[in-house]
Amino acid sequence: MDLKTTRNRIQVFLLLLPGILMFSIFTVYPIIKLFVMSFYRWELGSFHKQEFIWFQNYSAVLSDEVFRISFINTLLYTIITVPGQMILGLLAAVLINSLPRFQIPFRVIYYLPVITPWVIASLVFKYIFNTEGMLNYILYEVLHLTNRNIAWLDSRWSGMFVTEILGIWKGVGWNMVVFLAALKSVPMELYEVADLDGCGSIKKFLYVTLPCIKNTILFAMVMLTIGGFNVFTSIKLITDGKPLHRTETVLTWMYYKAFRSGKFGYAAALSFIVVVTLILLAALQFRIMKNRNEEGFI
Amino acid sequence: MKMRAVRKLLAVTILSAMLTFLYACSTQDILSDKPQKDLPQTTLDFWHHYSAQSPENEILTNVLIPKFEEENKGYKINAVSHEWADLHDKFIISTSSGILPDVARMDIAWLPEFHKMDILVPLDKEFSEFESVSGELLENALNTAKIGDHYYALPLNTNTKILFINKQVFADKGKKAPSTMQEMMETAKELSGKTPDGKQIWGLCEPALSGWNVLPYIWSFGGDITDETYTKASGYVNSPETAEAINMLKELYKANALTGFNSGDIPMTDGFGTGRYMMLLDGPWKIAELKGSYPDFQYETANVPGGKGGSVSVLGGEDIAMLKGGNKEGAWAFMKFMTASFAQEEMSKAGQIPVNKAALESATVKNASFSPFLNAITTAKIRPPIATWSEIDNELSIAVTKILTEDADTQKTLDELAIKLDALLSGR
Amino acid sequence: MKHGHTFRVGRLLCYIILILGGITSVLPMVYMLGTSLKPNGALYEYPPKIFPHLNVITIENYIYVLTKEKFHINFINSVIVSVSTIILAAAISTSLAFCIARFRFPGRNLLFGIVIGTMIIPGTTLIITQFELASFLRVINKLTGLIPFYVAWVIPFSTFMIKGFIENIPREFDQAVYIDGGSVFTVFFKIAVPLASPAIASVSIFNFLTAWEEFQWALTVLNDNAKRTFPIAISGFFGQHQFTQWGYVFAMSVTSLIPVLLIFIFFQKYFIAGLTAGGIKG
Repeated sequence: MDLKTTRNRIQVFLLLLPGILMFSIFTVYPIIKLFVMSFYRWELGSFHKQEFIWFQNYSAVLSDEVFRISFINTLLYTIITVPGQMILGLLAAVLINSLPRFQIPFRVIYYLPVITPWVIASLVFKYIFNTEGMLNYILYEVLHLTNRNIAWLDSRWSGMFVTEILGIWKGVGWNMVVFLAALKSVPMELYEVADLDGCGSIKKFLYVTLPCIKNTILFAMVMLTIGGFNVFTSIKLITDGKPLHRTETVLTWMYYKAFRSGKFGYAAALSFIVVVTLILLAALQFRIMKNRNEEGFI
Repeated sequence: MKMRAVRKLLAVTILSAMLTFLYACSTQDILSDKPQKDLPQTTLDFWHHYSAQSPENEILTNVLIPKFEEENKGYKINAVSHEWADLHDKFIISTSSGILPDVARMDIAWLPEFHKMDILVPLDKEFSEFESVSGELLENALNTAKIGDHYYALPLNTNTKILFINKQVFADKGKKAPSTMQEMMETAKELSGKTPDGKQIWGLCEPALSGWNVLPYIWSFGGDITDETYTKASGYVNSPETAEAINMLKELYKANALTGFNSGDIPMTDGFGTGRYMMLLDGPWKIAELKGSYPDFQYETANVPGGKGGSVSVLGGEDIAMLKGGNKEGAWAFMKFMTASFAQEEMSKAGQIPVNKAALESATVKNASFSPFLNAITTAKIRPPIATWSEIDNELSIAVTKILTEDADTQKTLDELAIKLDALLSGR
Repeated sequence: MKHGHTFRVGRLLCYIILILGGITSVLPMVYMLGTSLKPNGALYEYPPKIFPHLNVITIENYIYVLTKEKFHINFINSVIVSVSTIILAAAISTSLAFCIARFRFPGRNLLFGIVIGTMIIPGTTLIITQFELASFLRVINKLTGLIPFYVAWVIPFSTFMIKGFIENIPREFDQAVYIDGGSVFTVFFKIAVPLASPAIASVSIFNFLTAWEEFQWALTVLNDNAKRTFPIAISGFFGQHQFTQWGYVFAMSVTSLIPVLLIFIFFQKYFIAGLTAGGIKG
């Protein structure tokens, strides 16, 4: 649509204005400021004598042992929770979609964890996974599957594991809803054609359903990867980085450095590294999916 | 169908917005900061870490603040409770935003750090009354507020840690409260293990491994973390005595007789109250906490077990300080009120040990539940009053955690720690 | 008949899997409800129980939370913040989405690039400079220190979703309005907003949740007890003196979960409709 009249031009401008203001003040400015800040020695107590130090903050971040640990933790969290949520969510969506009735109750139940705030879900999981908590009681005293109470929250891998389980538990419902929406948009005719060709349900799923919903898969994957890097509240409340900062993730470590140690320049550089990583990851995911597209899905 | 969706959404949104608005108008001004009273009032922000559901907080909000507001017309106190560690972070955050409270209660160990951040008002320079006000308070408590030549706070309360034991179990096993570290180690090991119904029991509980937690052991063993002048850690934090203290904790942890500092452990009060932890070192607030949550639980108290260094506990306590950029007159009035004998006596009912000399002589205080602590205070030592304490504390707790949970070599880890602390002490 | 038999077995299997998954979804919540009904001293009892014995059930935790803790203030704060966020976000992102979907204006690609780009950057990474901005704008310790930031966080995703939906509305509808002498505003209010309402409704539910449960920013910006939103109030009960009153924590959690649950059950059927025709489509 061409904007021929001045009145329409003004009206479009007016519609755009709030959004543009919002973006420039609350998002674009903070990003630019963050970038600038990451090149300065910017610490508590020396706010007024910031010093330009080139890449020193970046080299401090990259040579920091805890940053490396937190980066790997975040990456693993993403690698485990993203496919975990997507596979279970897709499974739930396919099964629910095949039901002749009771779709709505299942949808509501599966969505319950999503609407449970992170703070609450984290506290419940912490309580369940306590060393003397419910899960250990069941595993050890009732089922005798383990020979002692496992200290779930007290080592790097098992502590991260608990938050990963929480992430999957909480995310399945969102994926279920998103995939359900996608499944409902797959044209029925395609299934009918597949039926005529004598395809079983698994073949139909692989050759009809998956290719039809691959945009949704890409969308979910990108969104969940961002979500995975954004993991914060669950870590903060369940392990708080303990023991020895071994269960920190990039953002909890950034927050610790900024608001507990007052090293804002360092934290800004760290944030920027996360931003760049995410942009690269998103680009990579688009690229992979595009190649898949040309070859046909799977 | 589509219109119905939006209409429903709109209806619910408008309804809830209206309800909220009505509610906000009917009760109080949630959105605005202005009080609606006709008198011109100044609101003083007071930050503290009295736990939200504690008896201290109840006395503060129900007795002390109303009384202060009545005596000092025109002032309104906005008391804000933060969790202990959060409060420290809040000061860092607020210093960076430049929005600080007028007055705050803070751990005595934080004072040097905040002084270095340049957010505290030197009281003796600012108020001519300082001499007479501070004269009412215990001198050693007042010294926690002195940095260089000036006083940056008034002491508010003092405390220390003593030994709590599970009375029932000790009586059943024919045990007495240990009086030496050696006895404590043996008792802790003996009382640990499984009960017939399958419960795991630990002899000793420590909720963290920071200076506040490990220093009583280190000092009682005759060790230390720095020299007297707080300039050097080598030879102190890695001395044989310090190593011996840490090794005792390590041995107990390995023997499954000590726990509490892991994320997955039962919290200290709950574990003690439900008979899972047999001994712990803690402050006077524990009495009130136990009374609140486990009123039927039987316990006894004793001094920190002694060693080569004597029975040395760690001196805790809080100061009340004035922050730069606030309302100085109001903050000073509130500080005087909180350190005067009325407020001090009231707070003593909740287990806060007074620092006001007159209050200490009162009958309420003489009969207070914290009398066992008064003795321990005289021998307790302070954590190093230096600006880098938070960082030192952090390094110390990392080193001790490594030794206990990861079986790191004690001497080697402490030697490494000494180098790091030396650097921090010398200001890099 | 054999076909019908496997069909029935398959369906049964399908129900069993779904029910098992459903139990996993609700079990932690049941545990939370059970714990909130236990007396405070019984939380670390041994052996642990999922649900308290009927004769020890107590509502003392709820009474404490609702009367002594003034939890309703935190609750109202959360409602104010979330409702303002969804209204502002819906208005701003719908108009942005409409313009991007329908018009070619200078900087359109840049704007859409910023939308996509900021969708990729998690809000928390900007917390340092956004906090600095908040102190500059003097909105620290105010609910107005939350709302615009939440709006800025959710706009990219909302715009993206609504734009996808509007693009599916046939342009002939617009043309008809223009021919009748309507302006851009007429098209926006008469065509775009009503027809995109399912998408607006479903992103608003997402946005509501984002604002409703946000923790870190609120923890950083808010100080006063009376200004805190409920996630901050709940976490305030957690870990003081190594002493967590789980009964209170979970009673607060249950209380705060009820309205969200009602809203979701009320709106859930528009949810999928809004997603289906929107950005997420096969």
